[in-house]
Amino acid sequence: MSSGFPLPPGERPLTERIDALLTDAEHRDNPLRAPLAELYNAFSDHLHQLERITRISDHYQAAERDRGANHAVNYRRQLRRLEKIVRISDQYQGMLRELNQRLEWLSHRDALTGLPNRRHALMRLREEHVRAQRGGRSFVIMIIDIDHFKDINDTWGHEFGDQALTAVAARLAASVREYDVCARWGGEEFLVMLPDTDPCAAGDNARRLRACVGSDPFTIDGRELRITVSLGVGSYHPGEDLTEFMKRVDDALYLAKHEGRDRIAFAA
Amino acid sequence: MNDFEIPATESTPLIRTDRAAGRLEMSGDSYPENSFELFQPVLDWIAGFLGQLLQPLTLELKLLYLNTSSVRAMMDIFDALQDAHDRGQPVEVNWRYDRDNERVADLAAEFKEDYSFPFEIIPGS
Repeated sequence: MSSGFPLPPGERPLTERIDALLTDAEHRDNPLRAPLAELYNAFSDHLHQLERITRISDHYQAAERDRGANHAVNYRRQLRRLEKIVRISDQYQGMLRELNQRLEWLSHRDALTGLPNRRHALMRLREEHVRAQRGGRSFVIMIIDIDHFKDINDTWGHEFGDQALTAVAARLAASVREYDVCARWGGEEFLVMLPDTDPCAAGDNARRLRACVGSDPFTIDGRELRITVSLGVGSYHPGEDLTEFMKRVDDALYLAKHEGRDRIAFAA
Repeated sequence: MNDFEIPATESTPLIRTDRAAGRLEMSGDSYPENSFELFQPVLDWIAGFLGQLLQPLTLELKLLYLNTSSVRAMMDIFDALQDAHDRGQPVEVNWRYDRDNERVADLAAEFKEDYSFPFEIIPGS
């Protein structure tokens, strides 16, 4: 056993010297021998005890340190995991958002012609109406109806009719400005709205649109076909509500039809 | 560890287990109100399978939309597979997606990251 106490130079360890004294026959009858032996045993026991306690305590400290290190490892792992969940979840949200935008776009499109649909046109009409009522410039609406469309359908079938409708839609859409609205209003009717446009510009625009359809024949399914349109055209009157305005334009279209088609009628 | 089948609802996927074939199938959308209720039986089944049997386990997934708690549950499931894989048990994931929606493939790839067991992302129709 080593006591671990520092030694003066040249000296043997205390424990060795005491061992030597206790085993030396010369000191067998020394009255100090018995108490020294007793003291020495007690000291040895205490030393042993102390070393045990130190060892156990060191173990505890090491275990605590490992536990702390494990916590750190766990924490980093959980953090990484959480970051991954957030990243993936964000991507799912992005996916839904895109889907939503796509659905919204689709809900404003006419599936056949690819033009904005009636829902979209109504939304834009209401916006423009509000703007005009707030003192903005006037705006122009045209309702354009394909002449004798029923005959086209009846003669060559609905599929042919659909192609004709799509071809007319394409010409109209190509003839308006980027910020105008050219929508499929229903059946063979289209609505064109020219925002922020003075009444005096309505005539030129209407003539241009009528000409873009009627002046050149279409080639549909290998067949050459002349298609004409009738237009009801109106400018917004300040203070008028949207339904009244639409009614005036509708009446103008009716007039154009009634007077023989392939023509423009201006709303009163 | 009995087999079970949970039919798909509007907000939860079809979940079907087949112990004999070593298959677990999940397909559809997953945004349950209570993800614990939905996924705990799945986790239990997987733990039971991997704990009792040494036969291969295959997850057949065709998941589209997952909410956050479902993402977390799927990671719990994959973690369990990874542990089994680390112990030498054969496990694999086949995640099928629609070609029209490549984003699902990106998401599956995000999940796959960090795992070393076979994890296939398979385009379909």
